[in-house]
Amino acid sequence: MNKKYVFFFILIFSTQLTYAASGGQLKPVQIDLGNKASLQRGAQIFFNNCAGCHTLQYHRYSKFVGDLGISEDMIKSNLILTTSKGEKTKLGSTIVNAINHDSIKEGFGVVPPDLTLTARSRGPEWIYTFLTSFYEDKTRPMGVNNVLYPNVNMPHVLWYKEGLKEMDENNILTVKVQGQLTQKEYEQEITDLVNFLTYVSEPAQLERYSIGLWVMLFLVFFAFITYLLKIEYWRDIK
Amino acid sequence: MSKFIAWVDERLPVSNFVKNHLSEYYAPKNFNFFYFFGSLALFVFIMQIITGIFLTINYKPDAASAFASVEYIMRDVEWGWLIRYMHSTGASFFFIIIYLHMLRALMYGSYKKPRELLWLFGMFIFVLLMAEAFMGYLLPWGQMSYWGAQVIISLFGAIPFIGESLALWIRGDYVISDATLNRFFAFHVIALPLLLFAVIYLHIAALHTVGSNNPDGVEIKQNKDKDGKPVDGIPFHPYYTVKDIFGLAVFLTIFMFVVFFLPEFGGFFLEKDNFVPADPLKTPEHIVPVWYFTPFYAILRAIPDKLGGVLAMGLAIFVLFLMPWLDRCKVKSIRYRSLTYKILLTSFVISFIGLGYIGMMAPTPILTILGRLFTLVYFGFFVLLYLTSKNEKTKPVPERVTMYE
Repeated sequence: MNKKYVFFFILIFSTQLTYAASGGQLKPVQIDLGNKASLQRGAQIFFNNCAGCHTLQYHRYSKFVGDLGISEDMIKSNLILTTSKGEKTKLGSTIVNAINHDSIKEGFGVVPPDLTLTARSRGPEWIYTFLTSFYEDKTRPMGVNNVLYPNVNMPHVLWYKEGLKEMDENNILTVKVQGQLTQKEYEQEITDLVNFLTYVSEPAQLERYSIGLWVMLFLVFFAFITYLLKIEYWRDIK
Repeated sequence: MSKFIAWVDERLPVSNFVKNHLSEYYAPKNFNFFYFFGSLALFVFIMQIITGIFLTINYKPDAASAFASVEYIMRDVEWGWLIRYMHSTGASFFFIIIYLHMLRALMYGSYKKPRELLWLFGMFIFVLLMAEAFMGYLLPWGQMSYWGAQVIISLFGAIPFIGESLALWIRGDYVISDATLNRFFAFHVIALPLLLFAVIYLHIAALHTVGSNNPDGVEIKQNKDKDGKPVDGIPFHPYYTVKDIFGLAVFLTIFMFVVFFLPEFGGFFLEKDNFVPADPLKTPEHIVPVWYFTPFYAILRAIPDKLGGVLAMGLAIFVLFLMPWLDRCKVKSIRYRSLTYKILLTSFVISFIGLGYIGMMAPTPILTILGRLFTLVYFGFFVLLYLTSKNEKTKPVPERVTMYE
């Protein structure tokens, strides 16, 4: 029941405005915040591949314990990769990294954006489409370009998983160099990652729908009782 | 207990107050659906104050930390997300309620003698509410907060001679900045709510002086029984208190559904771009005000000249103040008015909704033409109403109110 709601509402209501803003075709992605395993895999992919440059600066490591069922030890040994004042970053800290803004700007042309709210500002479909739309372009400094976000400065970090696609005259992408994963496996990994980022963008979603259901039930019942009360009082008014 | 009440009554007229405003305050018995929105507006106002207080506890009115403090509320404050969504959804619902409340007045002539002051106070509430909502929208310090405020305040710059200095005075800076955020916070959480509280008090005081209008537009005070009670009136308490509680329950069901399941409302209540922190160096592709301002925004854009647009937008709101004097028809309710008025009001409502839609969209040639057409209809309503209402062919108004059910 939880799953169904999440999927339904995100699919129906979060896509429309993003479509208009991006101009390109967005690919659908099935978000399922009830799938803990997928969220955990997404976290794994994020911290292994993205966290070096991108932060989740409004989110805290400690949230993963209750929300995703990841143990404190696991977080301390595998997710927290930074130190603060000589000590390992604390569990209650927000998720930031150690990049130097000046040097990364020199290297990539931009400071990599914080990703806490990207799933809300651009939408899950946008992230999914972006990460599956890299192709080889030797004219770009990083050797790759992106269909959804032309001339983006980000390198195709996950190329070792996806391999490298090339674009033919009809703007269709085909795999040129095979990576560690098949295209289908890669798309599943990106789905997990997007699922994770959707959770990070609004952790309240994990409880919002199930609490909302009880609130609805109560209010419908309450409305019914007050209706009977109104009828009873108004019996003598003609 | 009765001794205690007597003790208090000698010192403070509590029982009298309850009698005058609840148990012996007579309201027409034929209120319909549209009469729920007054009490609902009061409820939402109080809800906004209470959720607002809780938000203020954790919010930081500082350009460097405002955005992060809202995310802190959404993530780390216990039930913070619920309070924030109730407040943000409450803002939109406040306008839905107020627009329906105003439509009710237009339908049943609730602004007509002796209720002109009641209407004027209501209009002041509407204007204050727009200011309150506008300033509140800056506080999350997202891209749309920032650029929306930038666009709207720069409109003041179009006023000849004093415009630029006026805009500067409002912002406290040459662009929207920390100084603006701080003063908007002060206005949003204390200055405007205090004013709103005072004008709402006057609105209700005026209402209880003249009594409510009703869907028939019949003055119930003109038809009293031998005890001096209006024959078509019933005591507000318990009849309308129980009825309004039922209305409130239905409202809460819809409201809470949005809060829990659709708080962004597809980008209408919380805009996508507002999840990006304000960046003075990066203008969003498409700056749109929140939906409740879009009808007036569309009027602004319909006029090709900036100053003309600002004036038209101001006039669109100001002309509503004049309703009691523009509508010269003696008959109040649309039920007994001419077909002309029915057509005029319907086209006015359609143009208002149409303008609201156009104001949300990026301008295209067709939408611009439509926007101008609807602007014409919007203002045409008031002009034609003034011209036709004096000698309007009306139906006979009944002596007593009619009950359906």
